[in-house]
Amino acid sequence: MISDYAGISPRRDILLIQQLCKKLKGKSFLHINSTKEGGGVAEILQRMIPLLQGLGIDARWEVINGDKPFYDTTKTIHNTLQGDNMTISDKAWEHYYEINRKNAAKLDLEADAVLIHDPQPAPLIDFRKNGLWFWRCHIDVSRPNPAVFSHINSFAKKYQATVFSVPKFAKPITSNEFIIPPSIDPLSEKNMDLTDEEITEVADRLGIPRDRPILLQVSRFDRFKDPIGVINAYKMVKKYNDCILVLAGSPASDDPEGEEVLAEVRKYAADDKDILILLLPPFSDLDINALQRMATIVLQKSLKEGFGLTVSEAMWKGKPVLGGAVGGIPLQIVHGLTGFLVHSVDGAAFRIRQYLNDPEMATRMGEAGREYVRDNFLLTRQVRDYLSLWYSVKNRKKGPTFEF
Amino acid sequence: MPQTKIKQTKKNQAKPKHRPSGIPKCAALKDKSFYFMDIVNVIKHTGTKAMSLKEMRDAIASVSKDCLFHHTCQYFSKGNIQEHTNDFAQWIYTSLEQSILAEQLSNIDPYSFTSMTALRKHFLEVIDNYIENFPEPRVALPDEAFFFNEAVTFIFPAGVKARNLAEFLMAIKFVDSSSLYYHFYEARSRLRKGTDDFSKWIDEVGKAPRIAERLRAVDPFMNNLENVREKIIDILEEGIKLEMGEMG
Repeated sequence: MISDYAGISPRRDILLIQQLCKKLKGKSFLHINSTKEGGGVAEILQRMIPLLQGLGIDARWEVINGDKPFYDTTKTIHNTLQGDNMTISDKAWEHYYEINRKNAAKLDLEADAVLIHDPQPAPLIDFRKNGLWFWRCHIDVSRPNPAVFSHINSFAKKYQATVFSVPKFAKPITSNEFIIPPSIDPLSEKNMDLTDEEITEVADRLGIPRDRPILLQVSRFDRFKDPIGVINAYKMVKKYNDCILVLAGSPASDDPEGEEVLAEVRKYAADDKDILILLLPPFSDLDINALQRMATIVLQKSLKEGFGLTVSEAMWKGKPVLGGAVGGIPLQIVHGLTGFLVHSVDGAAFRIRQYLNDPEMATRMGEAGREYVRDNFLLTRQVRDYLSLWYSVKNRKKGPTFEF
Repeated sequence: MPQTKIKQTKKNQAKPKHRPSGIPKCAALKDKSFYFMDIVNVIKHTGTKAMSLKEMRDAIASVSKDCLFHHTCQYFSKGNIQEHTNDFAQWIYTSLEQSILAEQLSNIDPYSFTSMTALRKHFLEVIDNYIENFPEPRVALPDEAFFFNEAVTFIFPAGVKARNLAEFLMAIKFVDSSSLYYHFYEARSRLRKGTDDFSKWIDEVGKAPRIAERLRAVDPFMNNLENVREKIIDILEEGIKLEMGEMG
């Protein structure tokens, strides 16, 4: 219910959502992606679809199905669009198209507006029946493999509008290119308010001492998240300030390198009892929420990143944050105002020490961060933007300013 | 974009009943209340980017008026929490480290220009003059390009109105920050007289010229939206007390 967000989300977002839903009432809005659970897109759609339905929009969510060769190809498409140098055979492209054709035959594609998420279902545009079709690309395609991008672009340019998360992830494809960042849901298990008792229960269960400041990084065990760099930064800090480092992540079944990195990290941290490495089961949202809330400082010292929504999650909890200046992190951390952007291990250590030695500044930046997330990265803003995209493209001759 | 807005205002003055709004329109209504409006900008990517001062200069010369408006006048809708007063100056300072030019561009009042063409010309003059004196500023790091955007804008009633100064004071305390942006910043590009919706209404309808004058003296470029809110509240509270004292 949209009213659940009153007092949490900005009033303007709720009002505009209501205004746009009044104008689009009874119209259908279809979302299509390739997975029902797991990943940020599914997480957002699970929350967004009922919200839209409650506002009188006939919102639906369909998922395409494929076989192993299809998913192998789409994984290669995903990696090559982000710059990996691999090739896709003509046969694989044909199969990719054929799976989309079969899905198009099975799915009800009739809708007033259709939002296709990511490259997997991009060819569905060839089976459009009616309505406005938009392609939402969640990944960074700024430096893609040219051949693969050219193939995907041949579908993408047929859409009425394209959507990227950040300008620097985008490639000019259509003349209607919107920038809509992802968001966090303040009411989800991962972000809702917790009581002190709930936080203490998680700390006790996971064996986290709370007698000293806690530095936390929540991420997959992946070299791009630089867990070894985080340990090195912690070691530099430890000479001056006693603290505990918690590295928490879930195993990724599709990432064989994860095991290797985890072993490396465990070995590197072995002789320090103040480094806690937590391997959480998938869907440990409540535990992650509690960990972020008990942390003194939250890090996301990535060397390469997508949007990096864990930063917004921590900021929403009022925590002072620091993050690598990569991917979508600089969009969330306004350096020196809502957190610190760092470019090295030394930079991370330096900023942690600053936070620890100036708790007043840390509190001020944490509060500024929470307000920044409220203004820019809550689910209601994303719903507002999707509806705005639909309404403005539908009424493009009357734009770019709409007065209600 | 500002030209379009002026046209719309004139057009709607002829049909005021369709536009409950802030001061420029409600002045034409029988109901003299102040209707608070909210504003939301949804960002569109133009496909143009700059890595160097020269590229930025050439892009400023050629981008659409909507794009120029977005990076200058609409800059304040983002809360005005950063050090500089437009996106160009902010990027030139942080990514090119050209402090002098950033300072010069920050001192430009985008609302004081009669058109986007005039604003564009002035930006180019300042940048060209700087390039003449400092010909080779460094380029941005690969991850720090400047992206030229424009906005799709939605303006809609906030569902709050004030019939007198006391109600106005109450409303200011809790309206969304986008209302403050729309009436205190964006209004300057509609009204074009160095004034804003709030002080115009307080002067013309609230009949409190001294309060209006003090509001007009608040520097919009040196305050973020929440500071603006606090200053307006302080001025109104003092002004109302003073007026009540004079009456009593």
